[in-house]
Order: sequence, then C-alpha cells, then structure tokens
Amino acid sequence: MNFDQLLQNVVGDTIGPGGSLCAFRPELALCATIVAVLLAKIILPGWKSSAYYITLLGLLAACFFAFPWSWQQGGIPAAKSIFTGALIADSFTVVVRGMLLGFAVLFATFTQMTGVWDREDQAEFYVLMLGSLVGMCLMISANHILIVMLGVEMAGVPCYVLAGMKRNQPKSSEAALKYAVFGAGAAGVMLFGLSLLAGVLGSVQLPTMTARLIQIIHNGASADQTLVLALGGLMLMVGVAFKLSAVPFHFWAPDVFEGATAEVAAFISVASKAAALGLLVRLVAVFSMPSALTFPEGISLPPDRLAAVADLGVVRQYIVALLSLLAAVTCTFGNLAAYGQTNMKRLLAYSTIAHAGYMMMPVAAAAALVGSDAVGAREAIAALLIYLGIYLFMNLAAFAIVAFLRNATGSEEIADYAGLVRRSPGLTVCMAIVMFSLVGLPPLAGFWAKMTVFLALIDAKLWALLFIGALNTLLSLFYYLRVVKVMALSPEPLHREAPTIPLTSLVGSYCALLTVPVVALFFLLGGVLYWARAAAHTLFN
Amino acid sequence: MSLFTEPIGLSHFLVVGAVLFVCGVICMATKRNVLGVLMGIELVLNGANLNFVAFGSSVLRPAGTEGIGMDGQMIALFVIVLAAAEAAVALAIALSYYHAHATVDVDRGDELKG
Repeated sequence: MNFDQLLQNVVGDTIGPGGSLCAFRPELALCATIVAVLLAKIILPGWKSSAYYITLLGLLAACFFAFPWSWQQGGIPAAKSIFTGALIADSFTVVVRGMLLGFAVLFATFTQMTGVWDREDQAEFYVLMLGSLVGMCLMISANHILIVMLGVEMAGVPCYVLAGMKRNQPKSSEAALKYAVFGAGAAGVMLFGLSLLAGVLGSVQLPTMTARLIQIIHNGASADQTLVLALGGLMLMVGVAFKLSAVPFHFWAPDVFEGATAEVAAFISVASKAAALGLLVRLVAVFSMPSALTFPEGISLPPDRLAAVADLGVVRQYIVALLSLLAAVTCTFGNLAAYGQTNMKRLLAYSTIAHAGYMMMPVAAAAALVGSDAVGAREAIAALLIYLGIYLFMNLAAFAIVAFLRNATGSEEIADYAGLVRRSPGLTVCMAIVMFSLVGLPPLAGFWAKMTVFLALIDAKLWALLFIGALNTLLSLFYYLRVVKVMALSPEPLHREAPTIPLTSLVGSYCALLTVPVVALFFLLGGVLYWARAAAHTLFN
Repeated sequence: MSLFTEPIGLSHFLVVGAVLFVCGVICMATKRNVLGVLMGIELVLNGANLNFVAFGSSVLRPAGTEGIGMDGQMIALFVIVLAAAEAAVALAIALSYYHAHATVDVDRGDELKG
C-alpha cells in the first residue's frame, strides 16, 4: 500500500459518507462553542451574558447531534470503531454522552442563576466546563490507550482550574492545589501502568490487547508476564479510582468540594463521576470479553470463541475481586465519615464517595456474570446507568439548594440551615425529598436506583457485596436525616433569620424543576429502563 | 545472563524507566514543596514515556514478537504535550496558592482537613 492510497483511505474513513466525523458531531459542536464563547468576549464586550447564551446554544446543538434519531426506524446499530479504531461509537457512548450533555444544559443554567462568576470570569468558566466535557466524551468512547490517557487529562485539568477559580479565597486555591497535585500524580501512575500493559500485550488498541491477552493465557503465561500484567492493571485502576474518588484515592474529594464553590462541586460530583464510570465500564467490557470488532492483520483469535471466553476467566476473577473490594471499602468509608461532618458540602462529598461505591457494585456484577450470562451482564450495566441517571438529578438538586442558600446566607454549615422550614417551606421539602431519595426510600427514584443495583448483585451471586450495600443503605439513613431534622425541627438561630426563598421565585422553581424527576422517575421507570437497556445493548457482544 | 553482561536491549530501558518511576513516586510522597512534588510527577511521566518509546522501537524488540511500533513514539509525543499543559496549570495554581498563603509548602495548607 503506497502513501497516496493510505492517505485516501484515511480521508474516506474520516469525512466520507457515514464516516467518523459524522459520529463525532456532538464533540465538534462543543469545540466550536468553545471558540465562539472566546470570540464573543472580544467581539461583543458589551453583551453581559454572551458566554451563557452561546454555551446554552452550543450545548443544545450538541444534544441535537447526540440524540439517536435513527433508532426509531432502524433499531440500535451495532458498535463500530471510528477514527481508525481510536474511538468506539455504540449505543453506550450515545446514551452516556447524551446524559452528560443533558446535565451540562441544566448545569449551565444553574451557574447562570447563582451568578457566582462575575462578568470577567464567566467566559473562562464556560470554556473550561466545555473543555472538560469534551474530555469526558472521549473517556466514555475510548478504544485506544492514548485516548484513555487524553480523555482523563482533558477532563481533569480544566476541573483543577475550576476548583481554584475563586481567586480571592485561600480555601479555593488550596483545594485547587490539592486536586491538581493528586490528579496529576494519579494520571502519571496510570500512564505508567498503561505503558506496561501495552508493552507486554504488544498493542495499544484495547480490543487487540484483549486478543493478545487471550493468546498469552492460552499458551500459559509465565510468572513474569502475570506479575507485570497484574501490576499494570492495578496502576491503571489507580487513575480510574482517583476520578471515581474511590478509597484509598478519595482524600481529595472532601477538601476540593469544601474549597471550591458548590457549582464546581456539583460538576465534579456528577459529570466527572459519570465519565469515570463510563471509562470503567469500557475497560471492564473490553478486557472481560473478546471483542467482535475486526482486528488488524496478524492477530487471530483462537477459532473457538467459547474457549477464548473461558480463557479470560482469570482476568474476570481479578476484575471482580478488585472492584468488589474497592466498592465495599469505598461505600462503607464514605458513609461512616459522613457522620462527623458539620459542613454541608463536606457531607455531600462523603455522600458522593459512598455513591461511587454503590455504582462500582454493578460493574463488578457485570464482570462476574459476563462469562456465563451476557444478558445478565447487560442488565447489570443497565442498572448502573439507571443509578447514574437518577443520581444526576439528586446530586444536582442538592448542590443547587446548597448554592442558593449560600447566596442568601453566606454560609454552608448545616447548623445555619436551622428553622428553614418556617421561612422557605417549599425549599425544605425539595431538600428533604432529595435527601430521602439519596438514602433510597420509596416512593422516590433513589429507591429504584439502589434496588436495580442490588438485583444485579443477587443475579451475580455476590452475596457479601449485597450485604455490605444493604448495611450501608441503613447506615446512610441517619446522616441524611440529620440534615432534614436540622432544617425542619431545630429552632431558628437567634442572631438572624433563616433565608426566605419561595418556590415561586426563579431559583425556587429551578430547585422544584430538579426535584420533580426525583419523584416522577419512581413512577416512570419504564422510560429510564428503555434507555439504560439500549445503552447496554451493544456491550459484551 | 545478567543485565550487566548482555548487550543493551529492551530490559535496560525498562529498568531505567522503572527507576525513574520509583524516584518520581518517592519524590511525590516525601516532598513538602509543591515544586518538588511537580518534579516528581514529571519523573513519573518521563518514566512512562521511556517505556513507550522502548516498546515501540523496532531495534530493541526481541526477534519474532509484535511490538507497538510507531504508536509508542506517537504516544510519547502526546504525553510530552500533556505534561507541559499539566505543568502550566499546576504552576499557575501554585502561584495563586502562594498569593494566598505566602508559601508553597503543601503542609501549610491546613484550612481543609481531609
């Protein structure tokens, strides 16, 4: 094949009909929005909220491109790799990306309402948010170790800056510093792990790496190879665990959440976590099953697919053991540490850590199931996506209320919420609904989130994990209840009144808007289930 | 056959990469100064980079095995850029930390108790 032919192939693959750029339009829309926001700041200096409106427009355009219009007629298309195998475009990418973009629309509106960034910083804030989103979209569609690394860094680095954007607050710069140093360290360790894996497996594309892994296991791996592979896998997990704020890489989370503004904390807590889980699912899916995608020449799978699946059993056991341990420890630690917190944002940080633990459980279940029952494994991933979808509304609502109360009182301490029910009954009800939903009480959406995850664990026969999950749900009841108790039962502080935020005001109605799905999704689970199953449809094939 | 007697090959590069990595991790864990920690991170990234380049080299590859070829060098180039971007952001944050605390000692940042 000569150079000219090679070039024409690449051009045809990229911009030809149905080419790679077609599946990449949402990300391109985000990139164009970044440029537009920056240009608008120079060209239209008089327009105060230019950054917000352009961002909103760009996000809506990205949502339009990301929406799978063709599924109505043609059904869910099979997975295909784009950009010569760097990314993978399948229903999982489409649904999780849609979720991220939908969250970004709600989030951009939220930051505009709280008005935390003044005219000078607004454009930078939205640019960083959009840049981070592009990285997250890469993370969830990664099929190549360079994209894994690039995605993690592109999603992470803007978040470090966002955490430190309140320049005049010492706490903010401290949070940013801790986040940046830990984040860069974790990314470095992850890169080293990836280099070991790539070297031993002799490839940088994830499905090809799995094919080589099968060959190595089939021919009997030497002790050295096993050691290096296990070590590489562990180092890779360090990077993912940092993004997930899983114990023992969680210690940045409470500090960053407290030091950064509530808005940024909401972004890190929801979007960054969703992307990290997407990446985790991708990695688990690719290393636990031989891919049906085509391989470059020179690599052939053992002719017997069942034997290949069986060969990967030891890898699956490793993944299940690692994820179960992480999930159990993360969940328990998050819930126990949340008890002593007096600052609302710190409490929500530990709550986020605990939820990351719950959300790792179905991934472990999927890895345990995939060898014998691919349908069950898809159901487990669907359970994770249901959890993520519901968690998005719950956590965004919780952080929105925290931010609006901060604007009204200047405080984020739980004790300062005392007596809120007398001045702002509507807002207190919203907060109570969100808190009960985070516990997982019916009739709120959080109940289904936990329920589907536990059903997946029963299906996978991970009894110990199920027990720990159930015990943790009980544990978490008390600290969430304490917040509601302070708001509803404690007397108003003497030195000043509790803030008055009626539900009919703009910010009040925004909180109500976010709380409605938390209740409604309990009754309308069918729709969520459809999307979650559609997303999992193309995995483990 | 020991590393000292055989001709320079893939293993030697990997040993240097591993040493860089370990130095970097120790540096990250023990340095109190932010700049020291950032230097440790650079060491870790460069250790990984050396691995990628060594694995990608067609000269070093043991006969009869498939290497990662040009991909290794391409990834190394990307990582160099990533490291620069990360260092730029981290240094800017360190500067803002210095303005607030008049020090770059990470232990002095104790307003937030993890």
